[in-house]
Amino acid sequence: MLHGRVLSSPYAHAHVKRIDTSAAKAMGAVVITFDDIPTVRYNERIITIPSVLHKDHYVLADKVRRMGEAVAAVTAETEELAERAVRAIKVEYDVLPVLTDPIEAMKPGAAPIYDTVLLGENEIEIDHNIACDRSIEQGNVDRAFAEADLVVEGTFNLSKVYHAQMETKSAICRPEPNGGLTVWPTTQSIHNVRILLGQIFDIPLSKVNVKRVPIGGTFGSSIQMNPPIPICAALALKAHRPVKLTLTREEDAHDHTRYGEQIHLQLAAKKDGTLTGAKMEAIVDIGAHNIQAYSFLGVTVGWLVSLYKIPSVRYHGTAVYTNKAPSCAMQGFGNPQVTFATESLIEELAEKLDIDSLELRLKNYVGMGDTFWGQGPLVRSIVNSDGVPELLHRGAKAIGWNDRPKSGSETGRFRSGIGLGRGFHTSGAGAPQPGDVIDFSGAMVKLNVDGSVDVITALMDHGGGTLEALNRIASEALCVPLDKVNMAPAETCSTVYDCVTHATRGVYAGGGAVLKAATTLREEILTTAAHYLNTQAHALTLRLDEELGQGVVYTPSIPDLTMTLSELATRCWSESWKTIAAVESYRPVHCPPAYVTVFVEVKVDTWTGLVHTVKAVMGSDCGTVICPKMAIGQLEGGLSKGMGYALYESNAWNTDGQLISGGYWIDSKTSGISESPRIDALAASFAHSYEPSGPFGAKGIGEAAMNPVAAAYANAIRNAIGIRFYELPITPERILIALKKKERMHEQE
Amino acid sequence: MLPEFELLMPRTLPEALEMMDESSKVMPLAGGTNLLVDLRGRLSRPQTLINIGGLDELRGVRVEDGYIVVGSAATIADLKRNALIAKHGQALRQAATVFANPLIRNRATIGGNLAYGSPAADAAPPLLVLGAEVELLSKDTRRTVPLEEFITGVRKTVRHPRELITAIRWPIPPEGSVGVFRKLGLRKADAISVLSIAVMLLHMDTGDCDQLRIALGAVAPTPIRAAAAEDLLDGGPLTPEVIAQAAQLASEATQAIGDIRGSAAYRKRVITALVQRLLTNLAKDTKEKKH
Repeated sequence: MLHGRVLSSPYAHAHVKRIDTSAAKAMGAVVITFDDIPTVRYNERIITIPSVLHKDHYVLADKVRRMGEAVAAVTAETEELAERAVRAIKVEYDVLPVLTDPIEAMKPGAAPIYDTVLLGENEIEIDHNIACDRSIEQGNVDRAFAEADLVVEGTFNLSKVYHAQMETKSAICRPEPNGGLTVWPTTQSIHNVRILLGQIFDIPLSKVNVKRVPIGGTFGSSIQMNPPIPICAALALKAHRPVKLTLTREEDAHDHTRYGEQIHLQLAAKKDGTLTGAKMEAIVDIGAHNIQAYSFLGVTVGWLVSLYKIPSVRYHGTAVYTNKAPSCAMQGFGNPQVTFATESLIEELAEKLDIDSLELRLKNYVGMGDTFWGQGPLVRSIVNSDGVPELLHRGAKAIGWNDRPKSGSETGRFRSGIGLGRGFHTSGAGAPQPGDVIDFSGAMVKLNVDGSVDVITALMDHGGGTLEALNRIASEALCVPLDKVNMAPAETCSTVYDCVTHATRGVYAGGGAVLKAATTLREEILTTAAHYLNTQAHALTLRLDEELGQGVVYTPSIPDLTMTLSELATRCWSESWKTIAAVESYRPVHCPPAYVTVFVEVKVDTWTGLVHTVKAVMGSDCGTVICPKMAIGQLEGGLSKGMGYALYESNAWNTDGQLISGGYWIDSKTSGISESPRIDALAASFAHSYEPSGPFGAKGIGEAAMNPVAAAYANAIRNAIGIRFYELPITPERILIALKKKERMHEQE
Repeated sequence: MLPEFELLMPRTLPEALEMMDESSKVMPLAGGTNLLVDLRGRLSRPQTLINIGGLDELRGVRVEDGYIVVGSAATIADLKRNALIAKHGQALRQAATVFANPLIRNRATIGGNLAYGSPAADAAPPLLVLGAEVELLSKDTRRTVPLEEFITGVRKTVRHPRELITAIRWPIPPEGSVGVFRKLGLRKADAISVLSIAVMLLHMDTGDCDQLRIALGAVAPTPIRAAAAEDLLDGGPLTPEVIAQAAQLASEATQAIGDIRGSAAYRKRVITALVQRLLTNLAKDTKEKKH
């Protein structure tokens, strides 16, 4: 196997004028530049339907639009040689003005980051660096605001933070004798990687085989096919040898971030706390590439109207190119941003109306029987399970909500406060009709001659226990002991399509597909057994026989008329009849909200501005909990990532478009175990709820666990020191500046 | 990834000094927790590394002629669990317990922490208040430099390329002396100091007044002593007024700059608050002890 290295641009915006690769080639390295790659523009992420998909990316750049963009790559016998070779490549750049602020980027005369991109198959011009925009309106907004008793508003600034996923982006590609490719990538969707590689390199998909590799966490960083994957493929195809390409952590930190945005939000309400309308303006910093901005703009208002019943809403969102790392989905896909803004203003509204904010939430939240459309205007569904009241009341009791201090009444060096954040995420993006997001899963289930079961799905597990949950679903549906169910290794050539593990859909939609296939298999089992037992299939049923450690087909009225699954499958085999197997695709027609409530107690040190997490109480309504320990892990992880977003993490670029941290983690990392509350001060529990549309009543949990955390922190800090923050992260320095400003205002009074 | 370099593995200190003498393009390697990161980032390009981390002569803590002598290749974890350090270098021990993370503490050495010349070196403020000296050895020379003169600027020290730091030493503090260390980082562990403070009260058994020393990290191009604050406190009782004034003087002694971890204004403000806090606690503790 050869080793690959990428030559990254040191500039944030430049034309590549000339590349001299002779020295690298002289060392024996195989080198690729823009001239060696197919001139196919693509979008790394193909969850959005083709007709509204923007494509602006090449495998290697002829014009770089961010620091760290790949302009060439090499592969050589050893990592050392590849490193030496990549450093021997000489590039001449024509440096262009750098735009790091989306508002500057939209101004007339700003340097164009793109002239044109593809929308579907059509070339479109890009004006003022605006990648796309979206206006959505419902109800009579002007009347709602005119008739409101109170309007609260705020401008919220959310930074582009790094995913900090466990593995850096990586791929191994092996060219095959038939002209095809076998690929082992870090990805959340093996099938989408296959489709894209086939399209870019013009290889029949039947010859592109992408394998599922265990992955320890992604946070959304690999929903799209990341840059190293096609670069590695191009190297392998040129070298005619297998190639491995892995980014260093510092390179990876330059590669993608969460969407940065500025949200201006206004909420209108009646005196009794009833929300009547909202206006929302979002300016979204998408960085150097448009990965899924159109969908992002849709969900941004979707999260708002699915958090609370707001009859009238006017929204405009603008996605702007800048010379920074491309923004892509990261745990919540815009939901933490919107929940931070909304839950901050709900708290402010409650304060102004002198209503308990928990009661205000209960009065207005989107719950049982309400329609919602979190994943964009075309993804509508009705709420059929709702544990919110249970979670809010239980959490309030556990944290001491009613005894919390009056906001800003604390004095002294250390000031304590309690905050609440309430949120949700959709379990997938399914809906009765197709929208602009592709969302369906597939699965195969087959019965082996010993009564064991293979589950075959292309679904990915990012360390959250998704595949374990699928095994349990198959075990339950087929009355087969869990230790006789096995998740097969997956590759694209022998699995049916699964869109991607994202959008909190793994258990709900991927598990739904397994349940559908298992249900079909169950019918096949009963029909086949009916043949041998001389009865009708509908006279038979299945049970788990603990003593035999087997699933058993039987009919309750004739105890002797029975067959184990092993006997059944063995007869089908020894009589040369068939394999009992089923394959199904599953399109969910709902995307039920997975609700999460977070209460945190913080202690603010007014001398240093440091915030200490004293206690956290997390509650989740994920319907039936299939893997309780893994689900609690999701909640604890969500708290940690949310805390990082609220208090610690920031990826900042200077005006030259250089990442200030240099990608070094020492100054940009997420919160660690020391920042978490003590284990006895961190409670996580579940609502008693059942989602009728989910597999055995299950919904999702992953992103929901993180979405309301930053809001809970901002509200807790407000409670402790009487100051509201509109910008994340709420650093010690920002706290001290705000405290000083408050003191000065007091003195002036 | 790491660039290519030659790695020499001396078996004895004399052998190491011999190797150091052969070229000026060599760099001693002990824990490597700073150096390897710089090599990966191409911030440092030595052709040859000499691994001194395994040399027995450079390990351990001992008492010698009224001094505590710490071998330069003693790791931070060594300091954390050493009984002599716990007794005669309290502030240093406290710094060792909050230094980076356990993995780094097992590799990083006290000599390396000083040799790197970082203003934020966590071992420096405690060693400054202890009155530590740095022992430098080359093939032909030996000299001892007060720590205050050793670090001369950001990543700058007086160490000659052919010299090795072999030991750090300080006079055993008088019985009853107290030292404390505080650091402020943006995480509770594995964080570079935004600022750090060491304070030491030297108990004078001669009947003279107790002496106070204050040192600050990450607020100037080098770790510094807050001399004006020390002078103010010298000999006088630690009243709240004097403490407040001293804290102000300490803050004025800084030449803080803004960086990724905090602005200059933030550093100055927090230094004042924390020095005040540490001195107040110290005054309270000594008062309680006397009663």
